[in-house]
Amino acid sequence: MIKFDSVTYVYPTGARALSDVSVEVGKGELVALMGENGAGKTTFIKHLNGLLKPTSGRVYVDGKDTRTLSVAQLSRIVGVVFQNAEDMFFLPTVEEEVAFSLRNLGFSEDVVQKRIDWALKFMELEVYKKRSPFLLSGGEKKRLALAIILAWNPQVIAMDEPTVGQDSMQKEKLKEMIKQLSLQGRTVIISTHDVEFVAELRPRVILMSRGKIVADGDADTILTDGELLRSCSILMPQVAATMSRLTDLGFNAKVISVEEAVRSIVKRLMEIEHTRRA
Amino acid sequence: MEIVRVEGLTFTYSGSEVPAVKDINLTMKEGEFVLLLGPSGCGKSTLCRCLNGLIPHFYAGKMDGKVVVAGMDVTKTPTYVLSQHVGMVFQIPENQLFSLTVENDVAFALENLGIPRDEIKRRVDFALRAVGIEELRGRSPFELSGGQQQKVAIASILALMPKLMLFDEPTSSLDPVSAKSVVDIISSIRKEFGTSIIVAEHRVELLADKVDRVIVMQEGSIIKDGKPKEVFVSEEFTPYGVPVPKVVSMAKGVNRHLRVFNDMPLSPEEFEQGIRGFLYDKVR
Amino acid sequence: MSILEGLKFYAGDTAIHKLDPRVKFLVSMLMLLMVVMYTEAWILVTLMVVQAAMAYAAKVVRRWLKTIKGSIPLAVLVFGLNAIFFITTGTHATLQEVLYHSATLAYRLVLFLSSFSIFFLTTTPEEIGLTLTSWRIPYPYTFAFISAIRFTPIIAQELRDIMDAQRSRGIELDKGGPLQRAKKLVPILVPLLANALRRAYELAEAMEVKCFGATKNRTSLRELKMRSRDYAALLVSLTLFSLAMYSRLFLL
Repeated sequence: MIKFDSVTYVYPTGARALSDVSVEVGKGELVALMGENGAGKTTFIKHLNGLLKPTSGRVYVDGKDTRTLSVAQLSRIVGVVFQNAEDMFFLPTVEEEVAFSLRNLGFSEDVVQKRIDWALKFMELEVYKKRSPFLLSGGEKKRLALAIILAWNPQVIAMDEPTVGQDSMQKEKLKEMIKQLSLQGRTVIISTHDVEFVAELRPRVILMSRGKIVADGDADTILTDGELLRSCSILMPQVAATMSRLTDLGFNAKVISVEEAVRSIVKRLMEIEHTRRA
Repeated sequence: MEIVRVEGLTFTYSGSEVPAVKDINLTMKEGEFVLLLGPSGCGKSTLCRCLNGLIPHFYAGKMDGKVVVAGMDVTKTPTYVLSQHVGMVFQIPENQLFSLTVENDVAFALENLGIPRDEIKRRVDFALRAVGIEELRGRSPFELSGGQQQKVAIASILALMPKLMLFDEPTSSLDPVSAKSVVDIISSIRKEFGTSIIVAEHRVELLADKVDRVIVMQEGSIIKDGKPKEVFVSEEFTPYGVPVPKVVSMAKGVNRHLRVFNDMPLSPEEFEQGIRGFLYDKVR
Repeated sequence: MSILEGLKFYAGDTAIHKLDPRVKFLVSMLMLLMVVMYTEAWILVTLMVVQAAMAYAAKVVRRWLKTIKGSIPLAVLVFGLNAIFFITTGTHATLQEVLYHSATLAYRLVLFLSSFSIFFLTTTPEEIGLTLTSWRIPYPYTFAFISAIRFTPIIAQELRDIMDAQRSRGIELDKGGPLQRAKKLVPILVPLLANALRRAYELAEAMEVKCFGATKNRTSLRELKMRSRDYAALLVSLTLFSLAMYSRLFLL
């Protein structure tokens, strides 16, 4: 679905944000792009819908070279939601915000209405149809931004730091929605440094540092590799940090979910007790 | 000594019909370290603003009840006087810094108060050292990372040497590593200077084992107030949008099968101690 | 926007950077007066040489040249307008004279801009603020000046973010006729304004907790102090200027 072929990007200021990045993301995959601030996550995301074109190398979206398509054309395939949802809003009602993009992309009027209803319902915003976007809460604003993008049904959804400034209930909701989008067969890419969020979502993790991809694998492997995470200035999720303190007792340190941790602790404690009795 | 006394506080912003905080009663001892939890929009910020006089002096609205901080009635004391006793650090770092060098920003409030230059110099040095950013002194806030900017904001308030410091979601726009270092600075301020502290925060993992007291708010009211262990153990908070540290969930899960933890752990260290203690007792 | 590039401060550690900003400002003003007073080519060229020397001493030659380059379109405009004016009013007899006088005017404009460029390139905005304070300009104005400089890059970044967000929902900013393009400014300007308002509110809150306006007798961490090198620079430039004045009034 997405292919980066040794992509390097240098900003006009001379700052090198991506260097020789090669990676592929398949259809329907759920990917978390992780790394400290300035690792190149946002630059990566901006290449997905052609806001930035590689300085050297190629980015292919659905097999097409992004240099040959406009941002509007690419956005039909890859919907990007940026960190600050308020950067989008300029119309009097929630409904009009969604309609605006759809009309921009040339959908017919009856389709527009259907899509608005569907997207707002999916994001649990239908009661706010006639409300001003500026009066929504922080979490609702984020969901409206997602609804605006989702309305034209892009195959890929990319989100830049979706959890920043969100409280735990809003994060919970966001997590459920991301899971659903993924279940529907969409490709979902989120860039984030929120390890706890990623530990709960358990996606494929692509770890970046200083413009390079330093690791790529499942969340359980990467988020329990203390040394790797430290080298990228990322904290370990609390479950893994706890388990890694108990490895000498034979506890499994490669766990990031609470449920699995509990299961493995109880099992190990029983074993220890069993051997002692014997 | 009491630093905060709030009695029957209700406040409604002008233009709104629903009170942002209702019937708050709260006392806080000097030197206490309080974590204020609750979902966005539950009234945490409003409560903080009531404590440093932004309400009612800056925000208009209808205020009932009494708020006394450091012995002063906030409704009768101008903000600039209150600010010397109650400091406040906000969520967005860049919107609290006005100058073109770090040291000027740390000096800003002192200059506004007309404090003599030698004293300003002394306090700027003190604050920069206390926060550990002496090397950033001559830099421009614009070139700093969010975490560094927030440290400058903290130093600029610390230079006022307030008795009480309020932090309104100080890490919510920061990455985890910066968030951790900001939280570490907050707890070192309390340790070194005995400053009373209220932190409104979502990151319980970072703070649970450091605070003396947790207050949970919902829809403008205080619904829970106690020691962290009591508050986190008492029930699942997730429905209120209040997170429980992962170690607490793990310990509760383990306890359902085996009675390992008598004392609820609040950090990975305490969890480890709990497990080792359990095994050790078994051996004996 | 290279002309603005030449007005942006870059940190430096040269003798020129270390001069008291008030002295530097005075030097720029004196240069300006000379530019106004003289039309003689050789003096104007000398002034440019002096400026070049100062730019060299301050290690800002490249940026200084940028200002000059940036001011060329403006100079061409001044040249054109004056030439037309001289020709239509018949001020000068020959075409040669018309061209000479128009060129001088255009060149003086360049000199004027480049002299202030050296001032801005070597003086921190903070120092400019201190200068304003030392002239007893009320602090709120100084504060407004400093904040403008502090927040311009942040707002520029915000503008880029908004444009990215709106382009990502299919708005093609660079397509269509002038009217359509003007309409496309709405989705950019409304969020920008909304963000600015929110920021203003947050700033006001932070100013409040930092005791802004608590007393009329505001103190300041740093103070401008004239040192011997500042007096020396002042003396030299005033002497040169007096000589120039004298020669203008009595010798030429």
